[in-house]
Amino acid sequence: MKKILLNRDFILFSIILIILIAVGFANPLFVTPKSISDVLTDTSILIILALSQMIVILIRAIDLSVASNLALSGMLISLLSTVHPELPVYYFIALSCVIGTILGVLNGISIAILKVPFIVTTLGTLSIYRGLIYFVSDGKQVYSNEFSEDFLALIHVKFLSLSFLFWLAVLVFIVIYILLNHTRFGRNLYSLGGNPDAAKYIGINENKYIIMAYSLSGFFAGLCGYLWVARYSVASTQIAIGFELTVISACVVGGISVMGGVGTVLGCVLGALLIGLIRNALPAVDISQFWQLAISGAIILLAIIINTKTEQRKEKTIMVEN
Amino acid sequence: MKLELKNISKNFHGVKALQNVDFQLQENSIHALLGENGAGKSTLVKILCGVYQPDSGIINLNNKQQSIPDPSASLSLGISAIHQESVMFDELSVTENVFIGNHITKSNGLVDWGLMQDKTNQLLKDLEANIEPNEKIKDLSIAQRHIVQISRSLIHDADIVIMDEPTASLSQKEINELYTIIRNLKKQNKSIIFISHKLDEVIEVCDEFTVLRDGELIKSDSIQNTNKDQLITYMAGREVNQIFPKNNVTIENEIFEVRNLFKKTQFKDINFNLRKKEILGFYGLVGSGRTEIMKSIFGITKLDEGEILFKDQKILIRKPSDAIDQGIVYLSEERQQLGMTGLMSVKDNINMAVMDRNSNFYVMNTLKEIKNSAAMQEKLNIKVSYWSQLTQSLSGGNQQKTVIAKWLSTKPEVLILDEPTKGIDVRSKSAVHEFMGELVEEGMSIMMISSELPEILGMCDRVVVMYKGLIKDILNVKEASSEQIVKLASGES
Amino acid sequence: MSIIPDKPPFKLLDILYKKEFILFVVLVSILIINSNISPYFLDLYNLIDSTFLFSEKAIIALTMTFVIIARQIDLSVASIIAVSSVVLGYTTSLGYDTWLVLLLTLLSGALCGAFNGAIITKFAIPSIIVTIGTMSLFRGLAYSFLEDSYYNKFPKLVGKLGGGYLYGYIPYAFLTFILLAFVFAFILHKTSVGKKIYSIGNNPDAAQYTGIAVDKYTFVLFTLNGLFSAIAAIFLSGRLSSVRPNIAFGWELEIITMVVLGGVYIYGGSGSILGVVISIFILGMLSFGLGLLNVPGVGIIIFTGLLLILSIGFPSFVRTLRRKNE
Repeated sequence: MKKILLNRDFILFSIILIILIAVGFANPLFVTPKSISDVLTDTSILIILALSQMIVILIRAIDLSVASNLALSGMLISLLSTVHPELPVYYFIALSCVIGTILGVLNGISIAILKVPFIVTTLGTLSIYRGLIYFVSDGKQVYSNEFSEDFLALIHVKFLSLSFLFWLAVLVFIVIYILLNHTRFGRNLYSLGGNPDAAKYIGINENKYIIMAYSLSGFFAGLCGYLWVARYSVASTQIAIGFELTVISACVVGGISVMGGVGTVLGCVLGALLIGLIRNALPAVDISQFWQLAISGAIILLAIIINTKTEQRKEKTIMVEN
Repeated sequence: MKLELKNISKNFHGVKALQNVDFQLQENSIHALLGENGAGKSTLVKILCGVYQPDSGIINLNNKQQSIPDPSASLSLGISAIHQESVMFDELSVTENVFIGNHITKSNGLVDWGLMQDKTNQLLKDLEANIEPNEKIKDLSIAQRHIVQISRSLIHDADIVIMDEPTASLSQKEINELYTIIRNLKKQNKSIIFISHKLDEVIEVCDEFTVLRDGELIKSDSIQNTNKDQLITYMAGREVNQIFPKNNVTIENEIFEVRNLFKKTQFKDINFNLRKKEILGFYGLVGSGRTEIMKSIFGITKLDEGEILFKDQKILIRKPSDAIDQGIVYLSEERQQLGMTGLMSVKDNINMAVMDRNSNFYVMNTLKEIKNSAAMQEKLNIKVSYWSQLTQSLSGGNQQKTVIAKWLSTKPEVLILDEPTKGIDVRSKSAVHEFMGELVEEGMSIMMISSELPEILGMCDRVVVMYKGLIKDILNVKEASSEQIVKLASGES
Repeated sequence: MSIIPDKPPFKLLDILYKKEFILFVVLVSILIINSNISPYFLDLYNLIDSTFLFSEKAIIALTMTFVIIARQIDLSVASIIAVSSVVLGYTTSLGYDTWLVLLLTLLSGALCGAFNGAIITKFAIPSIIVTIGTMSLFRGLAYSFLEDSYYNKFPKLVGKLGGGYLYGYIPYAFLTFILLAFVFAFILHKTSVGKKIYSIGNNPDAAQYTGIAVDKYTFVLFTLNGLFSAIAAIFLSGRLSSVRPNIAFGWELEIITMVVLGGVYIYGGSGSILGVVISIFILGMLSFGLGLLNVPGVGIIIFTGLLLILSIGFPSFVRTLRRKNE
């Protein structure tokens, strides 16, 4: 029982509940099913990206280029849809994923083959991918009336009165849960992040895993490229600017250790939910939206400090009974 | 013949790590691989594990020539190694560590946790080990970790198991349990390569032995045909009593004392003193608290309680620079990680602790730095071509000398040496010993942590024996027997 | 016994392998190409005014160089600019004396930096994570204070500093950068402080065991980085003559690019001020030249990103190839 109470994921879950209850008292409208389902829909893209970022963080790396990747993939399919509105929406989704994957593979190659440190690589591609959007679009926006109906319709499909986005996030959660906990690939990611030197002894090819992790991160960024554009019915050079930091924050809050090899899929989702909840709850309790950024910054800091403190306490080996 | 190595050679940047070494391992036998640190044992092991490729030579396994291009090839050939620095995954469970890199999958491609759990449970039961398969490795003791590693090699169905100093940090009880396991392995038709520095244990457990020295094969024979003294002679290349220079200095008054040092969960009731020109040894198992005490004395970690006296004055050490200012310095066991800065020049390393003395109001004075380096070079004979040469390009022995030079530059009065001869070749080792003798003659006092009993017995005047964070006794080396020290250190008396 | 020389005999060829030399060649090529392509490039007034594009970032790049050499990174600098600019505008609006305004502005930057440094050293958390957090926090503070309004009144001195010239030719911001570059080069390469920063960056544990106050240095470096962000904030606010909370958005990446492109190893321990200064000019001249050619800012962004990756990736790729051939 004590173990459960001290479990990170449980604590995180409790915090989410407490916030929900507290906000509910201040503003009962916030805890209606409709409002909660809105929060879930609103957080879905964050959940998907946090889960794919987690794969990269597990092997002691970070992908700062996800938001730019998302925006570029989104812009490319939007431009295509203005020219070929007749194509089915699945075609666009698949294409967006392919573009995202290619951009992810490029990151992986730079890191694994060219040996450019991951910070430098993804900092570089963050600019490059963002810059390419201007080039392909001439700096113009694609507005809602330029998309085909089909393109935008899928996102509004509802099932059990919950949105398509939400169910997609659930699906991604299940897939990544199985991938990380029940496949050799996933377990090897944990080993590689936990002890890279030892991983070599058991024959894990580090370069292959780096490229794979970044391609997965790219794949989901591409997927979210479609989701983002369709949800907000706009593609521009500015979409999702700075969102990579929100994604990383979700992982950190969710207990994914940036030192590699530690973290649960559930924790990651809870981290994303907590951040999404706070973003949505602030207006509900009459806190100006301008406070949002500062509050999420403070929460990230608090989360890391608590994480580090508990980790450091655990590490102390006991030799003498005092 | 299970395994036969013929004419194996391996060079690293011109340094001959192995020269035409032959090695034969019989079926179901325990074979001791002996040699001083740097003799080439670990290179040989790494070749068998597929980490290194030999420059020349042949590997025959079950009378068939094989090449071992990478670690996974080694595993699939049935060779499994239990490493000294544990190749384990602290955050993962016992089960997962046993099956690491080799997870069992169901027909649908997913990992079969249930089956792996059952198999691990069975294995641990067979080994009579009291370990929960679900526990994380970081929560296990060192002995338990060894057992997990042994389980790993059993799962891989390895028939050659390499054990690199498996008993180094175990208590006597744990060691005996390990011996039982090893003998059981032998019964199950496994061949074992056993690396250990404890010769008594080698004679007790092993059937055959091979001694390497400076990368060459010295002797290979059955254990029955030899004895401990002979083995030492093979390893060191000279008579036993010549290894340690006797230091005939008159020990003077007390210079340093600690009273009731206490650090939560690390050590308590630590009282000892050090006299001028004395060498005080610290003996105990790895993890018995020796290094932790020294770190606190040096100001790396904070003491919870206790006081330190230097020349009869109470002193307060809050950070390393406080200790250095007093004339107390600490040479860490981890030379590469904590002692030197490989990517900076030899000159920078030698002067690193005396930068303030070598500068005029913060501006560096290169001439002073070179002067000091030259003075140290004269004393220690560091082999270096240019002062601006990178320290990592030096040999292990010269790196150690550079680290010593760094500390001697501060003109210390109390020198704390943590495993000063670990991992350096025989010649450098005896140079270090000789040098310690000289320093003491010049008036320095030394505290030396060592896990090598002969080194303690040969060099020290008194020895502090530790077990689990407590001082068991402080003995006069001349009056103590090695059996007595070993017993104290394993907590038996 | 023979005397051991400090350095191997001087060979002209060695210079060719220096990073600074390669950077210098790149800079000269850019200057030549630019002046051939556009007749306006070599115009003295144009060149002088082009320094306005990078001087403020360049000032922070100097302290960022120290931070990165010491094996840390600071992603919060642009957000500190936002905080300090808001403090600048606010204290002006309160009618404080110019010097008090400047002092409080500088203080706000130093405090933000000290906050970073305190969390990083006190809790032993990697700086990349801490500054990702404070990046949101500081920027968020600026937003919550200013909301959607802005400041456009600053002391006269600030306007003069941001947009003015010494003797009508040398912009104050550029002058400040050049003077500080000399000071920082001296500190880094000639003093014990610089040498200690290198040893911390190369091996922080060994540095600590050698009696170097690693935590103290880390703390001071972050504080300094905050202070310099505030200095940049003064120049920037004066030049723009209007402060919104999104001021200097994305600058942290541009500043880190300046430093890394200048040959400073991202994981600490090596690099020089000279390299960073050359790289600042490369990036400055590049964007100026491309601007004259009417290439939009994004072209420069893409080019910068590529330059950053290739400048590290190409040498290491060649090294790997060579090792394989051996």
